[in-house]
Amino acid sequence: MWGEIKQALALSTERFLTRFADLLPGTAALLVAVLISIVLGFLLAAIVRRVLTSMQFDQRLAQWGFRSSSEWPLLKSPTLLISRAIAASIIVAGFLIGIAAFDAEWTSLLARSIFAYIPNVLGAVLVLVVGSVIARYLSRSVLIGAVNLNLNYARLLSVGVRWLVLVLTVAMALEHLRIATGIVELAFGILFGGIVFALALAVGLGSKDLITKSLERDAQKVSGEKIEEPFRHV
Amino acid sequence: MEVEPISQPPVPKVEPVKSADLVLGVVAEIDDESLIALCDSLRTLPGSPIVAALRNDHAGGAAGATSEASEKVPSPYFVPWPSSKTDDPGTPVVNVATAYQSAFSVSEQLNARACCIVASTIENAKPDWIRELVRPLLEEDFDLVTPQYALRKFEGLLNSSVISPLTRCLYGKRIRNPMGPDLGISRRLFTKLASEKTGGVGNGVHLVASIAPGALCDNLKVCQVLVGPRTYPPPDWTNISSLVSQILSPIFADMEKRAACWQRTRSSVPLPSFGKPVLLSQDTGTVDVSRMVESFQLGNRDLQEIWDLVLPPSTLLELRKLARLPLEQFRMPNDLWVRIVYDFALAHRLRTINRDHLLKSMTPLYLAWVAGFARDAEAADAAGVEQILERLAVAYESAKPYLVSRWRWPDRFNP
Repeated sequence: MWGEIKQALALSTERFLTRFADLLPGTAALLVAVLISIVLGFLLAAIVRRVLTSMQFDQRLAQWGFRSSSEWPLLKSPTLLISRAIAASIIVAGFLIGIAAFDAEWTSLLARSIFAYIPNVLGAVLVLVVGSVIARYLSRSVLIGAVNLNLNYARLLSVGVRWLVLVLTVAMALEHLRIATGIVELAFGILFGGIVFALALAVGLGSKDLITKSLERDAQKVSGEKIEEPFRHV
Repeated sequence: MEVEPISQPPVPKVEPVKSADLVLGVVAEIDDESLIALCDSLRTLPGSPIVAALRNDHAGGAAGATSEASEKVPSPYFVPWPSSKTDDPGTPVVNVATAYQSAFSVSEQLNARACCIVASTIENAKPDWIRELVRPLLEEDFDLVTPQYALRKFEGLLNSSVISPLTRCLYGKRIRNPMGPDLGISRRLFTKLASEKTGGVGNGVHLVASIAPGALCDNLKVCQVLVGPRTYPPPDWTNISSLVSQILSPIFADMEKRAACWQRTRSSVPLPSFGKPVLLSQDTGTVDVSRMVESFQLGNRDLQEIWDLVLPPSTLLELRKLARLPLEQFRMPNDLWVRIVYDFALAHRLRTINRDHLLKSMTPLYLAWVAGFARDAEAADAAGVEQILERLAVAYESAKPYLVSRWRWPDRFNP
């Protein structure tokens, strides 16, 4: 009886050790892959940071209507954000490659499906970045234009335009990620329609005076009355 | 019923000219008779210069037709504009700049001694004051002759508030209309300007904005001629921000290009002047500035996020105080306005935000200055208005150390 127990324990220990020994090359490969990816990631990040700094990327981004570097909430500089994102993605890729080296069916399947999903994630990130740049640029254009037209609801218009573009961007990004596409479409339709309706109401109610003045001006033009304006700018 | 044939105006002959003493580029619409009268007037200058006039093809009918007027005299010659200015889409400054460049090219080809650009409508640009623009070029060997128009108090406000005092402060010469647009230019200067066409007057620096600063930086001989009034187009209130952006962008871009030159200049001296001052009647009635003040107050409320990026905290604080003033007491102090202009010029250089956004967001501030100026000037006569503008120009000069400090150390010097 005792002998049988001893034999079973020896067998299971042997099996455990064999499995463990099987894992060792994979673990070593994982460690090596992660180490290499860390070195590669930081190296590439440093190169990207240097290139972007020499291109004055932060200033250019500000010029395109993006927030200036001093206001960047997450990190102090978009250059730093991009370089760190590149480093992080290389490290994650190295980790996934390392996992695939275990040669186990589930790990390689997991790695393969994650790798297949990466283009979607990258596409969604790109859509979000471009969308937020466009949203900021358009909202600033609308704000300045509306203020120069003496519209009291300039800020409302500007915020409305920014949210319209942002909602559209987020919906496109989620569509790209294939997350609950049906719900996203429905929610996007409701939100987009809601914002447009709210803006239309706000502008319609707020621009009564403007339209009245405009019509009066047109009527004066038709009747030949001259609006005396002493100021000449150029 | 027989229709009488309509008498056609004389069509000048387009001559294959080889050389001329003076090239006259008329950018404004002009009929052939007026152009011939203008050229005849210029030929009365000492030495009877041979005049070649640039004319629009569409104004004169078929090229090559012979006119009686041009058959009688060997001069003037008529040369078509090398490029049709009216077909060019784009901003007015760009179109005028294209016309200037074409005139310089033709002047170079004809080996002219001088070139005169007439951009004002011919009803205003009388032949005698165009002759006065040319005279210092041919007789006194000046390189650039700028006009000093007889102004009504509320005319040419962008020039009075920014362009003229800024040029005076930067380059140390009291020039009233550095951007013309009617200008007399010597061979030395137009040759240089024509060569800059390929030499890279780009980067937003328009030719019109860089003529006077370039001449002043190169120590060329510049003078002013007192001429009559110009007709200014009535403002389009929906378009003032575009106008501000179009005019100031080349000014600030040129300022960036010539930073090494203007940082050496300290005070200002008057330019040699010719001609007699033309006195215009000045209205002394009250003007309504409520709309401009409202625009400023709205800007102060909604454009803070943009102004925060451009203006230092002390200026923002003063603007907030200004926005709370009642209409009767509304005045923008000269030193505040001057620092605003300098800060926007710096932000334009640093590209703090998109340049178009930047300059358009300056419009409410400009209107605030106009409102304050209108309050001060409404009861003033011509001499009073002159004093107000002189005080502004002195404020620009006094604040120049602020500009130089901010320009050199934008991050460190931020009061």
